[in-house]
Amino acid sequence: MTDSVPDAVDARVAASAPPLGRPPARFAGLRRRAVQFFTMPTGFFGAAILVIVIGTALFAPLIVSPADLDVTKVSGPSLNPPLAGYPLGTDQAGRSVLDLVIWGTRSSLVVGLIATALTVVVGTTIGLVAGHYGGWISRLLMQVTDWFIALPGLPLAISLAAVLGQGNASIIIAIAVTSWTGTARLVRAQTLAVSARPFVERAKALGAGDGQVMRRQILPSVVPIVLVTSTLKIADSILSAATLTFLGLGNPMDVSWGSILNSALGQGALTAGAWWYLIPPGVAILIVVLGFTLCGRALETIINPRTETAR
Amino acid sequence: MAGSNRRLVRRVAAAAASVLCVAALALGGLAPAASAASESTLIVQGASFKSNFNPWTSYVEGDKYINTNIYPSLTYLDENQKPAPYLADSWSTSSDGLTWTFKIHTGLKWSDGQPLTAKDAAWTYNLLMTNKTAATSNGALVTQFDKVTAPDDATLVIQTKVPVADMLFTNAAGGSQPGIPIVPQHIWESKVNDLAADSNLTIPVVGYGPWTLTDYKANQYATLTANKDFFLGGPKYDKLIYQQYNTPDAAVAALRSGQLNVAGMTPAQRTALQGDPNITTYSVLGSLFLSIEVNRGAKTKSGKAIGTGNPLLADPAIRDAINFGIDRDTLVKKVLDGGGVASAAFLPPQYIDNWQPADKDKVTFDPAKANQLLDDAGYKKAADGYRVDAKTGKQLAFRLGTHSDSAQDAQVADYFVPWMKDIGIKITLEPMSFSLLNENLAKGDWDMLFDRWGTGPNPTYLLSTQTCATLPDEDGKNGNTDSFFCNPEFDKLYALQSTQVDAGARMQTIQQMVNILYTSGNNLILFYANGLSGVTTNQTKNYMIGTVNSDGNYPPQNAFLNWRSAEPVATADDSSTNVWLIVGIIVVVVVVVGGAGTVLIRRKRSSTDVKE
Repeated sequence: MTDSVPDAVDARVAASAPPLGRPPARFAGLRRRAVQFFTMPTGFFGAAILVIVIGTALFAPLIVSPADLDVTKVSGPSLNPPLAGYPLGTDQAGRSVLDLVIWGTRSSLVVGLIATALTVVVGTTIGLVAGHYGGWISRLLMQVTDWFIALPGLPLAISLAAVLGQGNASIIIAIAVTSWTGTARLVRAQTLAVSARPFVERAKALGAGDGQVMRRQILPSVVPIVLVTSTLKIADSILSAATLTFLGLGNPMDVSWGSILNSALGQGALTAGAWWYLIPPGVAILIVVLGFTLCGRALETIINPRTETAR
Repeated sequence: MAGSNRRLVRRVAAAAASVLCVAALALGGLAPAASAASESTLIVQGASFKSNFNPWTSYVEGDKYINTNIYPSLTYLDENQKPAPYLADSWSTSSDGLTWTFKIHTGLKWSDGQPLTAKDAAWTYNLLMTNKTAATSNGALVTQFDKVTAPDDATLVIQTKVPVADMLFTNAAGGSQPGIPIVPQHIWESKVNDLAADSNLTIPVVGYGPWTLTDYKANQYATLTANKDFFLGGPKYDKLIYQQYNTPDAAVAALRSGQLNVAGMTPAQRTALQGDPNITTYSVLGSLFLSIEVNRGAKTKSGKAIGTGNPLLADPAIRDAINFGIDRDTLVKKVLDGGGVASAAFLPPQYIDNWQPADKDKVTFDPAKANQLLDDAGYKKAADGYRVDAKTGKQLAFRLGTHSDSAQDAQVADYFVPWMKDIGIKITLEPMSFSLLNENLAKGDWDMLFDRWGTGPNPTYLLSTQTCATLPDEDGKNGNTDSFFCNPEFDKLYALQSTQVDAGARMQTIQQMVNILYTSGNNLILFYANGLSGVTTNQTKNYMIGTVNSDGNYPPQNAFLNWRSAEPVATADDSSTNVWLIVGIIVVVVVVVGGAGTVLIRRKRSSTDVKE
């Protein structure tokens, strides 16, 4: 039966899906995979980076006080290279760039995570509905998806953020609107593959409605692949959020990595050769994106046994 | 064998083609260098322009800078900001001050060879006075004109309804508000019915001035060609490119690499460029203020309230408290790096004889006093530190519109928001595009806004934006108000100053007007920033005009003079070494590629010979 669907994703699921009717095996599988994940160098380092970054975000209020970020209360020299007390130098107003970067972790992570969550919810819903119902609904939804794929992402996000007004909410919406298409296509393909399997037919024969089939039968099989793509998507979202904030579309009173770069550019730090103002937020973005990408790749390897044997 | 031969031929052809390509590229790179030797080009960073070179309707600063250099005016502003003879060689006024007679310079020709006479000037003024579209840009400057005639080719007579104090200024080329441009009648006569749609983009544009517009690309650049015979002294350069840059760093990078000769900059960039031997940076006395406008209750001409402004701002206690909560000296020190004047006056200090308010009215940074004012007015602080209006139970929370593309707005807001928090006022920033901000302003949909405006030595236009006449109509349109200010006493003084031909008396009136605005708290002026610019002095000399004052500042600059005064620095040796370098590279490329090709062909041939 599965052979009739020539889809790579299908083969992945067929091989990785746990045997039915034996729930404890699923948990055993989970433990096996966790061990597998942490023994891989990519998984281990990715996870380590994320633990450090998320820890920094959570404990930022203990390290940096609001007064350190208030331009009217700081007393540092203006646009100064690293010196005692300011390990990463100061910005135009005399604030410590290290403090700004630490505080910026919060906003950058939150925006990236929420935008990804929104992307995944929208993409999964559309993909699931399109894949399950098929026919004209699928065609219509996929036409819309194709239309969004054809639109250039960054200009669309910029115009959306401009229309919605500045702020984190509009950045989150702009990212979600421009990046749900990949997830939708992936989930649709996966749904098509799973729908063709006997247990789904069995559920239908027993009288399960569309809603129940989608929720109880198909969704659990789709979740692993969604988890992997969303981990990779977080990296994209954080990068997009930083880009849009850098372009001046973020909340102006918020400190994020993108906004630090934005003020650095606006105040001419590039000409001034103020590398300490430009490099730290850039490196922070790089590290977080690297962390999520490493984790995503490791998860992908575990969930897709084909790449595992190739390794 | 035949097949491999064909392949070889193809290969040799490809090698030859690549040599030609390299040579063409090198020659392409050579072309500007070669022309630079014969033709000098000055490249200046342009203010934003829309490429509307229609002198009747253009209002964007960048377009006006071009227009003032391609169309003549009766006078121009000299380096001391005083009107000097341009098209008008001399002038006289009647004893009642109502008739001005200008002697027009004779023997001039428009760029298409037709004679330029007083008739063109009279036609221009009459169209401005009678045609609504023609009056779009400069109509406000001729509202007091009664009749303009040209009795002969060398005489222009302007009769006015009341004495006009600023006649010589409103007709002057080159200021930050360039005067009325005079256009060729024979070109524009046929276009009168279609003025609004005409962007005047037939190249070259027929005009008269130090320059002729010969090329442009909308929102990118405009090219001006020098009129070497210009009767006040032609430009030293042959060509001028007015180029727009979107970020300050891009412009300064271009300046550093010598691709741009003149650029504006931020204080941090100026500091960074101080060690560059090729670039000299200049500070120019500021005539542009940055302010925070306060909506005290937007009203139309008939007094109907419009917009969504917060009614609490109508309370003078709140406006005064905000004013006392701002530390202007810190802004100048931190945001401007010391390059500017902290002033709360509506006109630049140098144009109001350094007027100072009476001691009792003086605004200083005094948060304690601000808090006291608000406490006395009954706005008590709630648990979160923000004050609440006891009557309505509403928080003292206001919106502040900022220009989203302005780094300076963002920097000042970084200080303003915590200062307001200290006195219990909550500020929410609303960054907007320039056009959206001005739309909201006109509709009264705002609480506070950042505002940037400046004036030349004649403040009539800027002062007019505070008169009742500039309030919008019933439908919220046709307004040009600064911030919905309307005060009958101010209007009376405004009318008076515009008729005071005696400069001393006029200055006194203007100072009284500035005082009214100072105490009204509708536009909280923060500072006048010095203009910073850099010139590649290894390529260009004499760009700046005037003499540096004791604070190290140049007087306000003026494109009409700067662009004519600039002179190329001779760099003959440079370009010739470039030429030889490129020729050398071509020779080397030809030898190496040709040699390699020959070896390749030989080897192939021998190998095929062996095979067969």
